[in-house]
Amino acid sequence: MGQSKPIGSNTILIVEDEALVRFDLVDFFADAGWRVFDAGDADEAIAILDRHKEIRVVLTDVQMPGSMDGVKLAHYVRGRFPPTILFVVSGNVPIRDDELPERTTFLPKPFDPHRLLRQIESA
Amino acid sequence: MTASVALLNRLRDLTVARPRPKSIRYGIAVLTVVAVALAQSAMFGSSAPWFLYTPTVVLLTLFLGRGPGIMATILSAIGAGLVVVEADEPLLLTPVHWGASVIFTLTTLGLVVLVEALRTALLDADRLREEREQALVVTAEREAFLSGVLGSSTDCIKVLDLDGKLTFMSEGGQRVMEISDFNAVAGCPWPDFWQDAGNTEAKEAMEAARHGQARSFIGKADTFMGTPKWWHVAVSPIPGQDGRPDRVLSVSRDITELRATEEQRERFVRLAENSADFVGMARTDGGVFYMNEAARRLVGLEDADITRLTIADFFPPEQVETVACEVLPAVDRDGHWVGELTFRHFRTGELIPVLYSVFPITDTTGALVGYGTVTRDFRERRRAEDDMRLMNGELAHRLKNVLAVVQSVASQTLRGVPGAEAASQNLSARLVALGAATDVLTGSSWRSADLRELATRALSPHGRIGERILLSGPAVTLKPELTVAFALALHELATNAAKYGALSNDTGTVTLAWSITGDGDDAVLAVSWREEGGPPVTPPERKGFGSALIERSLRSYFSGKAATDYRPEGLVFELEARLKDAAITTGK
Repeated sequence: MGQSKPIGSNTILIVEDEALVRFDLVDFFADAGWRVFDAGDADEAIAILDRHKEIRVVLTDVQMPGSMDGVKLAHYVRGRFPPTILFVVSGNVPIRDDELPERTTFLPKPFDPHRLLRQIESA
Repeated sequence: MTASVALLNRLRDLTVARPRPKSIRYGIAVLTVVAVALAQSAMFGSSAPWFLYTPTVVLLTLFLGRGPGIMATILSAIGAGLVVVEADEPLLLTPVHWGASVIFTLTTLGLVVLVEALRTALLDADRLREEREQALVVTAEREAFLSGVLGSSTDCIKVLDLDGKLTFMSEGGQRVMEISDFNAVAGCPWPDFWQDAGNTEAKEAMEAARHGQARSFIGKADTFMGTPKWWHVAVSPIPGQDGRPDRVLSVSRDITELRATEEQRERFVRLAENSADFVGMARTDGGVFYMNEAARRLVGLEDADITRLTIADFFPPEQVETVACEVLPAVDRDGHWVGELTFRHFRTGELIPVLYSVFPITDTTGALVGYGTVTRDFRERRRAEDDMRLMNGELAHRLKNVLAVVQSVASQTLRGVPGAEAASQNLSARLVALGAATDVLTGSSWRSADLRELATRALSPHGRIGERILLSGPAVTLKPELTVAFALALHELATNAAKYGALSNDTGTVTLAWSITGDGDDAVLAVSWREEGGPPVTPPERKGFGSALIERSLRSYFSGKAATDYRPEGLVFELEARLKDAAITTGK
C-alpha cells in the first residue's frame, strides 16, 4: 500500500471475543508503541470506528457473537473506510480469498504477533 | 389211432378245408353213385336195393358238401328204384317199394342235413382254433413288449390295490428303490414310504385315485436301503372291467440330483433377492432385466415395469457418458469396475451417492450376455464422512483457539519479566508452528499428513517457497504421530536460519529435499535441510531447546538417524529413517 502514513497514526482496533487473547494483543501493541482500541464484537467495533476515524489497522476474529461475524465486519470496514489495513483471524479452516474484501490478509490462529507487527510496519 | 386221425385230417384237408370246384364235386358224386349202383346190382341183385346208398351219401355229403349230397340222394333213390321196377304195376313200383323209396329219400336227406351241420361245425372249429392260435401269438408278443418296457424303465412303476398296498413293482423300479426281493415289500402300505408332507400327499393321491382321478406330487422318501431321495410321483387309477377304479398305478421318478441343482440355484436366487445391496443385471445393449428388492427400493421402482429401462436411466445426465465411455469399456477390458457414482431416484429425482461395482455376466460357454452390478447405497457413509469432517473441523478449531489462549497466557505471564522477552517470542512462534501442524492433520482428518504440504505450511511464514526455500521430493504421507514433531523441527530450523543462517540475509536459500531408496521393508526415507548463501556458520557454544528438539525428538519419533552439521558454507541437517516407520506407504 503506497499511501502516506502520518506520524502518530499507528492506531489499531482489535476485535476478538476471547478476552484473554484480546488483552494480550492489546498489551502487545501498546508495548510496541501503538494506540490500541479493542472490541468484543462487531457492533462495538463499528461504534469505535465511527468515533475514531484515525484507526489505520483492524484485526478481527471471524467467530464472534452478535449480528456480524469478522468476515462481514471486514467487508463493512473496507466499504466504509477504504484505506484501512485489514487482518482476519480464524482458528477454523482458512477463508478463501474471494470471500474476503480486497487487500485483506487471513491469519490462521494461533499467529505470531511479532511477525504480524513486522508485516504491518512494512506495509 | 393216431394213424387214423392223421388220415382223417388229411381227408378233411383235401375236402372240407380246401373245397374243390363245383363241377368236380358234382362229377365225383354222380360217378360214385353210379359205381355204387353197379356194385349193388352185382353183389346183392334186387334185394335191399337201398342198403349201400345211405353210407355213400353220408360220406359224399361229408366230403363234398350239401349240394352234391342232395343230388346223390336223388340219384340213389332213382338207382334203387330202377332195380325193383315191376313192369306190370300200374305205378311201376309196388306200394311197398314206393313207401321204402320215400322213407329212404327222406331219411337220407335228413342225414345230408345233419352231416352238413357237422361239416360246418368242423369248419367253424378249424377257424376258431386258428384264430385262437393267432390271438395267443399276438398276446405273447405284447406281453414281451410290455415286460421289456417295464423292465428297462428307470422309473419305479408300481401297482397298488385300492387300499394302497403294493402288489407289483417293475424290475427297474426295484433297482432304483434298492429292493433285492419284492416279497420283502409286497403288501406293504405304499403311503407309509413317504415322509413329512409327502405322506399327506401320497394319501391324498390314493384317495383321488379311488375316485378315478390322477394326481402327481413331489416328495421325499428313503429307498429300501435307507438312501434319502426326492421323487416325482404320478398316481393314476387302473380301471377294472366295470370301468371303475380297480387298482392304482404309481410311477415315481428319482429327481434327487435335479432337486439338488435346483436347491443350489434357488439359494443363489435368494442370495440376490435378500441382499440389502442393489443387485441388478442388464443385457449387453444396456436393457435392464433384473433388479432385486433393495435395488427397486433404492431408486423408487418398487412396482414399476423395469424391462423398458436401460443402464443409462439410472444415472444423472452428466454421468451417463462416464458410464458408457469409461465404466462399461473398463468392464469389457478388465473384467470389473468399481467406483463412486450417483444414482437418480426415479420418482423424486434425488441424487443418491453409491459405490457402483460392475462385472460381466457370461453364459455357460463364457460368452458375454450382459452386465451385473452389486451397488451399495453410500448416503449414510457420505453423511458420516461429512459429520466426521465437521467434527474434525470443530475439534481443530477449538484446539487452535486453546493454543491461542495458551499463547496469550504465556505471553502475559512472561511480559515484564526481565530477560524473558526472547523466550516469550520463541514460545509464541512454536505454538504457531504447532497450530500449523494441526491444520495439516485436520485437512486429512487426522489420519496422515502430506510431507510437502506440511513443509509448505511450516516454512512459508519464514520465506517464499520456491524462491528462498526450495522443496523437492516424491509424494510421502507422514504418519500422524510424527507430524507435530516434524513441523516443530522445521519451524526451529527455519527460525534458526532466519536469525543466523541462509534466511538472515536477502540472498541465501534453503533446500529441503527428501527421497526414498530401496524397496519394501528396507525402503529408507532420507530428508535433508541444506542452507546456502548465508553468512559463514560457526557452531553454537551451547545447544538450545531448538537443536535438542530437532535432533533428539526426530531421532526418537522416526526411530532413525538425525544429525546437524554446522558447515562453514551453510548448516546441513540430515534425517534418515525406515520408510515404514515414518510414512504411510501406499501403492506409490
